[in-house]
Amino acid sequence: MRTKKIKHMTGLTILNLFFLILCFLTLIPILYAVSLSLSNGSSGLSSGVSLWPKDATMKNYVAILTEEPFLLWLKNSVILSVGTMILAMGTAITAAYAFSRYRFKGRSGVLKMLLILNAFPQILSMFAIFRLFKTFHLLNSYIGLIIVYAGSMCIFSIWNMKGYFDTIPVEIEEAARIDGASSGQLLIKVVLPLARPAIIVTAVMVLIFVWNEYLFSTTFMMNADSYTLAAGLYQLQSGDYSRSWPLFSAAAILVSIPILIVFFCIQKYMVSGLTAGGVKG
Amino acid sequence: MLCAPLFRDGVNSMKNRQKIRPWTYSLPALILIGIIVVFPILYTGYISLTNMNLYHWDDYHIIGLENFARALTKVDSGFLGALATTILWTVLNMVIQVVLAFFIALGLNVKGLKLSRFYKTLLMFPWAMPAYISILLWRVGMYNTEFGFLNKVLAALGFEKMNFLSENVPAFISCMVLNLWMALPFMIMMMDSALQSVDKSYYESAKLDGAGFWKQTWYITVPAIRPILIPSVIMTTFTTFKQFDIVYLLTMQKGSLSGATLQTIITYAHQNAFVSNNYGLSSAVSIVIFGFIILFSLFTNRGVKEEA
Repeated sequence: MRTKKIKHMTGLTILNLFFLILCFLTLIPILYAVSLSLSNGSSGLSSGVSLWPKDATMKNYVAILTEEPFLLWLKNSVILSVGTMILAMGTAITAAYAFSRYRFKGRSGVLKMLLILNAFPQILSMFAIFRLFKTFHLLNSYIGLIIVYAGSMCIFSIWNMKGYFDTIPVEIEEAARIDGASSGQLLIKVVLPLARPAIIVTAVMVLIFVWNEYLFSTTFMMNADSYTLAAGLYQLQSGDYSRSWPLFSAAAILVSIPILIVFFCIQKYMVSGLTAGGVKG
Repeated sequence: MLCAPLFRDGVNSMKNRQKIRPWTYSLPALILIGIIVVFPILYTGYISLTNMNLYHWDDYHIIGLENFARALTKVDSGFLGALATTILWTVLNMVIQVVLAFFIALGLNVKGLKLSRFYKTLLMFPWAMPAYISILLWRVGMYNTEFGFLNKVLAALGFEKMNFLSENVPAFISCMVLNLWMALPFMIMMMDSALQSVDKSYYESAKLDGAGFWKQTWYITVPAIRPILIPSVIMTTFTTFKQFDIVYLLTMQKGSLSGATLQTIITYAHQNAFVSNNYGLSSAVSIVIFGFIILFSLFTNRGVKEEA
C-alpha cells in the first residue's frame, strides 16, 4: 500500500513537471512578444536567448500610441465592429425567432441551405464581391465593409440564437399572448430579455470577428486613413519590419489584451455556440 | 347568415398573416445573405465560365468550361499540386492534433492533479489570441532568420541559423507547427469535457477484471468519447481544410515572399484572383472547392446521424 502511494506521488510529480514544461513551451511565443515589446529598440536584435529584456521600457507602448495612428485605427475598428453588430444582430434576431417559433413551408429547406452556404469560404467569393462593390462604389467605405461583415456573420448568428430560442419554453409566450400582447410586443418584452445571454454572446462573437479580420479590410480599404487595427498592424509588419518590430509587438499586445479578457469571460459559451452553429443540422 | 362569410374572410386573412409573418421577420436577414453570400457565389460561377482577366476586365466573353479543364487536367496549372498539398495538410494536422489532444486531456484528468484548472487556463491562450496576430508574431518572433527566437536558440546551441520559410518542406512543417499551436487548445478542451462525461464506474469494474491502462483507454475511454467528439472533429477538419491565413501570412505576403512556393487550394484561388489576375481560372477553382465542401458535408452529415 505504501509503495503504491509513493508510486502515485512520483507519477503526479512527473505529470506536473510535464504540464509545467508544456505550458511554458506553449506560452513562449507570447512571452517573447511581451519581452520584445518592452525591449529597448536594439536589444531585440541582440544574440542572447532570454525572455526578459535587460532594460525594460514602456517607450514602445508610448510610441505606438503617440507616433503611429493607433487611435485612428482603433476608432475605425470600433465604428466597423459596432456597425456590423447592429446590422447583423438586427437582422438575425428576428430571423432566428421566426425559424425557431413558426412552422412554415420552406423552413427546414432554408435552414439547411444556410448551413451549406456557411461552409463556403468567404475568401473564394472575395473577388466577386470586390467587383460588385467597385461597380456600386462601395469600396473604401465603412458601409460597404459593414455589409460584407454582417452578411458573413448573419448565418452563424441565426443558427446560434435559434438554438437558444428553441430551449425557451413556448408556454411563457402563450401566457403573454393570452394577456393580450401583440406579436411585436411579445418579441421585445418577453423573448429578448429571456434570450439575453445568447444574444450577448453572439454579439460579442460578431465583435471579435470584425476586430480580428484583416483580409477584407486590407483589400477593400485602400486609404491609410481608413485602416482598422488589423490592417494597421498588418501594415506595421509588412513594411520595414526589422525596425518597427518592437513597436509591432507592443501594438499586437495592446490589440490582444481586450480579446483575451473577453475570451476568458465567455469561454464556456464559445464551445456550445461553436458546435451548435457549426455542424449539427 | 350574412356574417358567416365575413367571419371566414377574417379567419383567412389572419391565417395569411400567420403565414407571411415568419417571412417578414426573416426577410432582412435573407436579403443581406442574398447580397453578400448567395449572389457572389452565383457571380463567381458566372465568371468561371468567362475569360475575364486583367486584359479583359470589361470585354470578357463566355468560353464555356475551359477554365475548369485547365485547372483539373493540366498539371502545370498548379491546382492538382495544391490539392495534394491541401489533403496532406488536412490529414497530417488532424491525426497529430487528435492524438496529442487526447493524451494531453487524459493527463489533465488524472486523479489528484490539483493544478489541472491552472494548466488548462494557460493552455487556452493560443486559442484566445487573435489568429492573425499569432501568425504575425510567429513569423517575426519565432521564424525570423535574424532575431527569431528559434534561431536564437539554434545559435546559442552552436548550430547554423536557418531560414524556416524559404523552402517548401521546412515551410510546410513550420506552418503545421503553428497550426497545431493555434488549434490544439480547442481540441484539448473538447476532449477534456468529453472525458469528464465518461461514467467512472466502468473503470472500477475494468480494474477488477484486471485491465491495464492501455486496455481501459482503448476499450472504455475511446468508444465512450467518440460520439461526443465527432462533431468537433468534423468542424476542425473543415477549418483545417479551409486554412488560408497561416500559409498566406507566413510565406506569401505582398512584397515579402519568403521563397517557399507552398500552395493550398485556397491560397491558389486567392493568388489567381488578386496577384496574377486570372479571374476566370480562380473562379473555376473556387466553384470546384465549393463542390468538394458540399460533398464532404453531405457525407459527414449522414455519418453523424448514423452515429447518433
